[in-house]
Amino acid sequence: MDPFATLGLVPRFDLDQGELESRYRELQKALHPDKHTGAPASQRRMTLNKAVEVNEAYRTLRDDIKRAQALLALHGNAQASGEREVADPELLMEVMELREALGEAKVRRDLTEVKALAARVDALRAGVRSGLVAAFAALPASAAAAQLSPLAAQVSRLKYYQRFLDEVSAIEDEAEAS
Amino acid sequence: MAYSDKVIEHYEHPLNVGTLDKEDPTVGTGLVGAPACGDVMRLQIKVNPETNVVEDAKFKTFGCGSAIASSSLVTEWVKGKTIDEAMALKNSQIVEELNLPPVKIHCSVLAEDAIKSAIADFRKKQEERKAQASGVAGSTAAQPSVQPQK
Ligand code: FES
Repeated sequence: MDPFATLGLVPRFDLDQGELESRYRELQKALHPDKHTGAPASQRRMTLNKAVEVNEAYRTLRDDIKRAQALLALHGNAQASGEREVADPELLMEVMELREALGEAKVRRDLTEVKALAARVDALRAGVRSGLVAAFAALPASAAAAQLSPLAAQVSRLKYYQRFLDEVSAIEDEAEAS
Repeated sequence: MAYSDKVIEHYEHPLNVGTLDKEDPTVGTGLVGAPACGDVMRLQIKVNPETNVVEDAKFKTFGCGSAIASSSLVTEWVKGKTIDEAMALKNSQIVEELNLPPVKIHCSVLAEDAIKSAIADFRKKQEERKAQASGVAGSTAAQPSVQPQK
């Protein structure tokens, strides 16, 4: 299911979050069960299904990684769902080192270091993200698989950074709780 | 979703966590990642180059409980096996042993990929050594072949 079509938006990576938000609210309101109490059961069911679909599409498009994967899928790249894919060894090395450093900082309860690492990865993520904005904008409508795979690789990179930052949040939550 | 007892056991008491010297020519290192979740795993084996038997195995995994359990299990399994035997390992065996649910299959795939890439790394190192050794042996071997002519 094309989440852009579901929300009536033009497919693009650099989506206006405000526009997404207001589109979503409009549709949600229009599809609210209270507005369809008088309708026949079959139509109510359809409205409900549509509402579920809208929620799903909104969740997908709100998220950088999922939105990028949806775009790649629209371009015919099925790999977006995270099939086996050989990652760039340098990226793996970088991520491994970062995760090790984070693990050590966690053991030492060194929150300053955790924050410093998070800032570093956040900067890396921002760099990849703006690269993707440009790359998607430059992508022709009928892009060949060879043009898509470097983008898919960047999306994976984003995923590794995101995972790192999730780990940071977990460490910070834990520190706050104790 | 509840983890199986075996996953919990390996997760709480993982075996073989650690690092081997990746510069050692008898050590093979596999570094892999799962783009599906963004987790990474490093698995290393120390192999006897005469017998090709895995003498030691260590791992470091930054991932979920299933990934940690999978790497713990794989490092245990491969010790004492030849690299050919270890190469035949399938993630389905891990899934079965740990009773992993479908959403956790990619975590066991990570462990399978890691052991295979560690073996590939060891083989590559050995081949490079052999190539070097035969290069050296070739130049020294030239001398004896000259000698009989004396
Ligand atoms: S969820 Fe990432 S390795 Fe299991």
